[in-house]
Amino acid sequence: MIFIAILIGCILGAILGLNAPMISYTYSSYLAIAIIAALDSVFGGIASVVKKNFDLKIFISGFFGNAILAILLTILGQKLNVDIYLAAIVVFVWRMFMNLGTIRRYYVEKWSDIIKEKTAKQEKKKNNENDEKNIG
Amino acid sequence: MPNKKLISIILGVMCFALTLGIVVQVRTIQNTNSTISQNQEANALRDEILKYKERYDNRFAQLEEAEKELEKEREEATKNNTELEQAQQQITEGNKLTGMTEVTGPGVIITLSDGTGIATSTLNPSQLIVHDLDVLSVVNELINAGAEAISINEQRWVFTTAISCRGNTIDINGERIGAPFVIKAIGLPEYLAGLERVGGYLELMRGQGVGVNLEKSNNITIPKYSGVINFEYLQNVER
Repeated sequence: MIFIAILIGCILGAILGLNAPMISYTYSSYLAIAIIAALDSVFGGIASVVKKNFDLKIFISGFFGNAILAILLTILGQKLNVDIYLAAIVVFVWRMFMNLGTIRRYYVEKWSDIIKEKTAKQEKKKNNENDEKNIG
Repeated sequence: MPNKKLISIILGVMCFALTLGIVVQVRTIQNTNSTISQNQEANALRDEILKYKERYDNRFAQLEEAEKELEKEREEATKNNTELEQAQQQITEGNKLTGMTEVTGPGVIITLSDGTGIATSTLNPSQLIVHDLDVLSVVNELINAGAEAISINEQRWVFTTAISCRGNTIDINGERIGAPFVIKAIGLPEYLAGLERVGGYLELMRGQGVGVNLEKSNNITIPKYSGVINFEYLQNVER
């Protein structure tokens, strides 16, 4: 359900993006850092869904707060002639990897559990059949 | 924890915004078609140039809009006054003569392109290239043949225009211009086509190996002069 919604959102976004007007080059560096922040928020959201502690308010405030803070830091960095946006990118990408790790661990454990259960069931069936044969 | 429907809708909307941003960004970067170099300084410089170019384009568009508005205001202000109307007509006529308006009419299009011959097989490779003096001579002959308006690669020739050498490009109206040079001229096409006469400058250039092409046209549009003419020392003589 969640992944279908994400897929539909991505496809609609790509279609609209292809037809949207281009932004000016001056603002493209701000948009780039906002994209990284949003990507981080989406990964964080999926990870929290997986961990079952998803909070709507925290998620939405994080989505906008992170993006705005990152853009403001980039502007400040340009005024001070320091590449602050590099720090923002490092933090966001680091968090992205952490969240991706959480999601990965969850699904690996889930699937390995399913596989274990299946093999256990098959062994039980075999044992039952053997028992029946022995009885017969 | 809210229900699953709400979560999926929120995440879907977020992903929608995210992909929209990514696609727009990619298209913007592709539009500037700049290759990212590993040298940070070169990247920063390219960035700066692109930003300035964008700002220049924006300002230029604003200027053109303002000029249109000025024209409109002038027309409205002089509507019911014959004297002012005459003055307005004089201004329009003067602008046409000095090259401040876009003009159209019959004439010729001359294309000068660098020679395609092999440079090493020629005694003097410099002959294969179109020089500033070549362009200057062609323009001079066009004026001699009665051309009323001339442009070189969309740069209007006005009475303050200088054509000078800038390494492998030439400078016209302070703008850098490279080969091939498309020289448009408005005038009587039959007279202007006389530039192709035997022993003329075009034939001389052709003999050197430069690509020369002249075609007559009944519909040539020449852009207006986009610079500013500023006189500081000129004064009228009091009589």
